[in-house]
Amino acid sequence: MLELWVRYRKYSRLLLVLLASFSLLTLQQARPEGQWLTEAVAAVTAPVQAGFARIHRRALGLWTTYLEWKALRADAERLRAEVTALRFRQLRQDELDAENERLRALLALRERLAVRTIGAEVVAREWNGFTRGLTINRGRTDGLERLAPVIVTRGVVGRVMELRRESAVIQLVTDPASSIGGVVNRTRAQGLVEGVAGGRLRLKVAAREEGVTVGDLVFTSGIGGLFPKGLPLGRIVRVHPPTNLFRIADLEPAVDLATVEEVLILPRGGAGDLGDAFSGA
Amino acid sequence: MKLPLYFLAVGGGTLIQSTVVPVLGFWGVVPDFPVVLVVLLALRRGPEVGCVIGFALGLAQDVIAGGPLGLQALSKGVIGFVAGELPRWCLLSNPLVPVTAAVVATVADGALRFAVLQLFHYPAAFGELLGSVILPQAAYNGVLAAVLVALPAVRVRA
Repeated sequence: MLELWVRYRKYSRLLLVLLASFSLLTLQQARPEGQWLTEAVAAVTAPVQAGFARIHRRALGLWTTYLEWKALRADAERLRAEVTALRFRQLRQDELDAENERLRALLALRERLAVRTIGAEVVAREWNGFTRGLTINRGRTDGLERLAPVIVTRGVVGRVMELRRESAVIQLVTDPASSIGGVVNRTRAQGLVEGVAGGRLRLKVAAREEGVTVGDLVFTSGIGGLFPKGLPLGRIVRVHPPTNLFRIADLEPAVDLATVEEVLILPRGGAGDLGDAFSGA
Repeated sequence: MKLPLYFLAVGGGTLIQSTVVPVLGFWGVVPDFPVVLVVLLALRRGPEVGCVIGFALGLAQDVIAGGPLGLQALSKGVIGFVAGELPRWCLLSNPLVPVTAAVVATVADGALRFAVLQLFHYPAAFGELLGSVILPQAAYNGVLAAVLVALPAVRVRA
């Protein structure tokens, strides 16, 4: 018998396993309440299972936290990119709105002026201390004339000083070489508005003109024939004591020349009084 | 010499099945890790070890799962024995052998359990069980076996 057992060892083990299994199944059927083996195994495995479950829960918690953190980080990066894009778009929109507003105002001025004007865009600036000029994208081929007045909605910018085929250089009113005939709106005192090194303007009137005070508006006088009458030049911010012949007043330019981007070029001379077009300035 | 390893296999396999494996489920399909373990061990250690380890792992699963005691002990003992006989006909160096064996063993395990469960008037139909539980689990076990076979420690022993 033992010899047989050894000879067919593997089959005998299978037989044993089958017998044990069927016995368990059978016994279980006969006495379902006597689950002593289940109880015994469970007593050993339950604490280990509980430990594993705790570890698993913690690991799962960590993993979930990591996933949430990762998702939050991805969200934050996405939102940051969105904010940047929106800010950029907003800036662009603001820029377009400002440009639109400027062009509308310029167009309205052009219609009010009732003279033939040429619109131009500023393409370059010359801001050194000695000269102050702008380069525009209109030139001889567009019908521009040398010394033609250049304006924007708020007043005088300067005059066309150098004419090229498809561009022109404008001498700004604040250029030290610029000199334009001006008139104090309230007192009608005539004088010269000159550019000052440093980007300011000054009004030179006769010493006898005592009524000139801070806050007075100065317009072009039309004298000299280059600039039409009635274009805003600036506002008096300071009046100096008179010297022998002249009374000097510092002016704040009517136009913020640093921000000019589009201009209108008027015909040289003969445009009459354009003061009505700037009555709101 | 091998006894501690077998104890470790039975204890570890049981604990992994009851703690880690449920987390690895996809669309309700959970692998039967002890089947894969029994097949891999049986292929390397022969039918005697496969049979006994299968019986022990199955019994432990029966205890933990709360089903009829001896049900999985029987099915896994049998598949352990049959898997242990495979090296007589197949080349173990072929990595497809353990993978295919795991798939077939899962189906056989399921069929055997269903057959025995008929004694207990198990209500589900075999076709339904095969389609929704046994075959998806067999596929998952095949993948699991392939992953385990790909591990260097397992490959060296093959």
